[in-house]
Order: sequence, then C-alpha cells, then structure tokens
Amino acid sequence: MSQEFDDNHTPNNDTTESVSEPVEHVDKGKRTFLKLGVAGAGVAAATAGGAFIAHKLEGTPMDDIVPPDGIAKDFKPMDQRNLILTFAGSEALNKKHPERKELFNKVLKKENPDHPEFDFRKDYKAMRTRPIRDEPGYTQLDKALQMSTMSTWKYVSHNEGNGQPGDGILNWDQSSVAKQKYKFDSKNEATLAIKSAARIYGAQACGIARFDRRFVYEPMYDMAKEETLSWDKDVPFEPKSVIVMLWEMDYHCIATAPAWTADATVAEAYTRQATGAAQMAQFLKGLGHHAIGAGNDMANSVAYGVLAGLGEGARNGHLIAPEVGCRVRISKVFTDFDFFDYAQPRDFGVKSFCEHCKRCATSCPSKAISFDDKPSLYPTYSDNKEDTWNNLSGLYKFHSDAKKCFMFWTQNGSGCAACIAACPYNKPDFWHHRFIDAQNVIAPGWVHSIMREMDIVFGYGNVADPEKVKKFWKRGSKV
Amino acid sequence: MMDLTWYLLGVLTGISALMLRYLAARMQLTLVTWGGLLAGIGALLFCIAWAVGAYLEGVPRAAAMGLLMFVLGGIVILTVTARLIAKQNRDQQGGAS
Ligand code: SF4
Ligand code: SF4
Repeated sequence: MSQEFDDNHTPNNDTTESVSEPVEHVDKGKRTFLKLGVAGAGVAAATAGGAFIAHKLEGTPMDDIVPPDGIAKDFKPMDQRNLILTFAGSEALNKKHPERKELFNKVLKKENPDHPEFDFRKDYKAMRTRPIRDEPGYTQLDKALQMSTMSTWKYVSHNEGNGQPGDGILNWDQSSVAKQKYKFDSKNEATLAIKSAARIYGAQACGIARFDRRFVYEPMYDMAKEETLSWDKDVPFEPKSVIVMLWEMDYHCIATAPAWTADATVAEAYTRQATGAAQMAQFLKGLGHHAIGAGNDMANSVAYGVLAGLGEGARNGHLIAPEVGCRVRISKVFTDFDFFDYAQPRDFGVKSFCEHCKRCATSCPSKAISFDDKPSLYPTYSDNKEDTWNNLSGLYKFHSDAKKCFMFWTQNGSGCAACIAACPYNKPDFWHHRFIDAQNVIAPGWVHSIMREMDIVFGYGNVADPEKVKKFWKRGSKV
Repeated sequence: MMDLTWYLLGVLTGISALMLRYLAARMQLTLVTWGGLLAGIGALLFCIAWAVGAYLEGVPRAAAMGLLMFVLGGIVILTVTARLIAKQNRDQQGGAS
C-alpha cells in the first residue's frame, strides 16, 4: 500500500486491496485537486499582491499636495526676499534687515556662547574661498573638480541657484515664439511629446502640473537690480501649465557629502537643470507657445515636483522621487500651453517613512533639520515669528531652519548635501533597492524604523566619511 | 556581471526545481515542509543576487551583511525543514509497518 494511501486510510483494517482501490483513486484525486487549489490560490495571492505593490509604487493619487487641512488659512505664497540664498545674495536686503543677522546671532550665542559672529552676506561671499587642506574631500583635487562644474553652471545661468529670475539662458525673452501653433491630436499626444523631449534633454523624469499660484514666489526678486518682480506685471504671459523635470546627481559623488567633492555633481546637475529648462522652453516656443524655463527661481521647486506627481516632500526639505530618492535637482518650465493630461500629486509613502526615520536630521552637521515626529503647519524650531522668516509657513510639512544649514555651507566652503547622502531613499538603481522600496510602500511604521536601522547596519548613508571620497576617486575604473 | 548573475540564478532555480521534484517523488511532503523548502531555497538564491548586487554597486559591507543574514536564515529554515521531513517520514514508516 502506498505511503500516500496510508495517510488517508479508512479505519476499516479489513478492507481488501481490491475494495480499497477506488477509495485510493478518489483520495488521490481529492489531494491533487486540493494541492492544485492551494497552488492556484498562492499564485493568485502573489499576483494580487504584486499588482497591489506595483500600484503603491506608482503612488496613490491625491487631491492636493497636502491633506485637506494641510494649508493654513493665512497661507501666502513665499516672498522670494525671504529665501535664504536670495537674502544672502543681496546687498540691499541685508542692509534692509539688519535685525535678521542680529537675532540669528543671538540664537547661535544662546546655543554656544563662543559661537563666532555670523554675517549672511559676508560669509556667503567668502564661502568658496576656504583654503584647501590635506584631508580627503578638501584637497586641490576636490576643489578643482568642484570648480570645473561650477564654471559651466555659472556660464549658462549665473545666479538661478540663488533664485535670480530670468538669469542667463533662462531669460524671459519671447521673441522666438513661432507664429504658427503646432496642433496635437490629443492631450495624450502633447503630453508624450513633451516627455519625449525631456528624455532627449537628459531628464530623469518629467511631469506636467497645472500652474498653481500658491507655490510661486510672489513677489520675485531680482538681486542684480535689487528690485521686486510681479507675476501679473512682469511675466510676459499668463502661465497655465508647468513642466517639471528632474535631473539626477551621481550617487558616489553625493556619497562624499559634505565634502567639496559632492558639490561637483550638484553643480553639474544644476547645469543640466538650467540647459534642460532652457531647451524645453525653446521647444514650446517652437510649437508656438510662450514659455520660460526656471531652476531654483520663480517658484518652489519641491511643491511643483509634488504637483507634477514626481515625488513627495520629505523631512530634509527635498523632493523624494521613486528610484532616485532626493538625489535630484528640479527645473520648471512655465508655459501658456494647456492641452495636456495633467499629473496628480501622489502619495508614495514618503511622509510616513520620514515620520519614523529622521536619519537626515541625525546626520545634519548644522542640526537644521526637524526631529519632530509629525509634520506641522508652522516651524517648530522657534516660537519667535521674527526668527522663522525664511520658512514657507502655513504648509503641513517638516520645517528646517535653513539659516543654520546655510551657515554650515559657508563654514564648509561648499554646499553640503549630507541630508541627501544619508537618506535611505538615496540608492543607486539596483534591483535589491527596488525590492526594498516595494516592501516599504506596504510596510507599517515600525518596519520603517527597522529599515532605517538596517540601512545603517548594511553600511549605507554614512556621511563625512573619508573612505567615500577615496572610493569616489576610484570610480574612474568603471568608465 | 549582474546579467551573468541572473543567468546563473536561473540555472540554479531550475536545478532547485528538479531537486524538489526528486524529493517530492520520494518523500511525503506537507504544506509546511513545501513552504520551508521554498522559503529556504528562495533565501539562498535571494542572498546570491543581493550580495552580487551590493558588491557591484560598491557597498561590500551590504554584500557581507546580506550573506550573513540571508544565508543564515536560509540554512536555518532548510535545516528545520529537513528535520521535519525526516521525522514525518519516519513516523509514517513506523505507522505503516
Ligand atoms: S544640506 Fe547639510 S547642513 Fe543643510 S540641512 Fe542638509 S545636512 Fe543639514
Ligand atoms: S533621511 Fe529619512 S527622514 Fe530624512 S528625508 Fe530621508 S526618509 Fe525622510
């Protein structure tokens, strides 16, 4: 008697072989059916699970970039004069607001009585003049790399990084708008054409959002002329759509943060951000529409990245996009063309992950990033409204103190990017990271805390690590 | 390199499937032991793919940690499953004799 039959034998031990034969067949059939049923259910469950995860990875569409009560009644578009880089880049604004420096120095002295006096304007000017030293990431080699990419960025758009509107190739000139408008058969065709062009320019991702007044800088500020610019009076057309493009920075170069080495990929991506925005603007003009390309200027890039469905705002103040995390720069192209399939903001599970992670906050050398458990409408690092002039207040997000971040940059001698390097979402495009992403979108909060710890144990996201600089300088072998 | 790894993993998956078929023809396997075998073999194959991926991206520590965690996990699962299969088959042989 077979082992299988034994398993299912009837209690009747008198049953003869000939009598038991049909029972064996019936039981075997039942078992096979049961096994097939279980296997089928397993396959169905795996397929459904896979589809659910794929859907979650694409992001769950949201009505707005924040929950319904995520914008305060007193919310106003940000005045560009309050952007830390614009403020520090302007002589006139520093003269107009000496109290900002005074109050910030008071805060610094309170935290550390020996803290040297900080001057937004003077220290910014001195930032990239810090002497080279014999330390990985701060040598002549690193400086030369940093300045090589800076030089091309400055050539294409001298000051867009500071928020200067209409700078260099991102000028507002509309004289090349084609007389004839190109006709697309459908919104889908127009949307795909824009995205195909973005791909040619080298964008990592592209999305199209409706123009949203809430997230522009109003007024804008021209640092060269020391005057404000208004969307109604100075922009040469009425924008209806915003094409948002992401520009990836190099993983191994960012990993060297906050060393000068990391600044090289930042400035290189800034260059592509500016040229790509200018090219996209020119493409739209060629199709017979008005367009202006922008980098850091004109509007809040992160908010527009979210509006264009490209990612989510994170604790460290950056946009976190699928596959590249926050290792991206963002450009925007404003146009009056509006025949598009507009994107929707999407929930990729970033906010929930950020609530449990805080790795950027612990890695931040200036302690500028919030350690709050939940986002808030207003900055929580200070009760004094005079001290939070640099924040986009009234929006449900994590609010950093950009003043402290900026001060570290000036001391460091370059931008920092440690909060990008440390972020668990910042990974190169390898299958195992996409696998972890997939499980992160469905996992509950406590798993996110474990994932953060695992990231540390597995050796990802260490910052200020000289070994990373050495490793970066060996990456040439892969070219 | 990663492409070669995927190819080899495909070959290893095929060999694993044949081994499972051979085992299933000779031993009595329950749902639990099937699950254990699949999970154990899956963990070992996953570990190879993980380690190569992490090494190629330039994070050898992640490769080492992956080897440690997933190989250990796979071996523990396979050992427990093997003992379970042996016990079940012993019991059944005892019952049948
Ligand atoms: S760039 Fe550096 S200093 Fe600024 S918030 Fe990020 S980690 Fe902190
Ligand atoms: S490091 Fe963590 S908390 Fe910070 S942005 Fe990335 S996921 Fe969010």
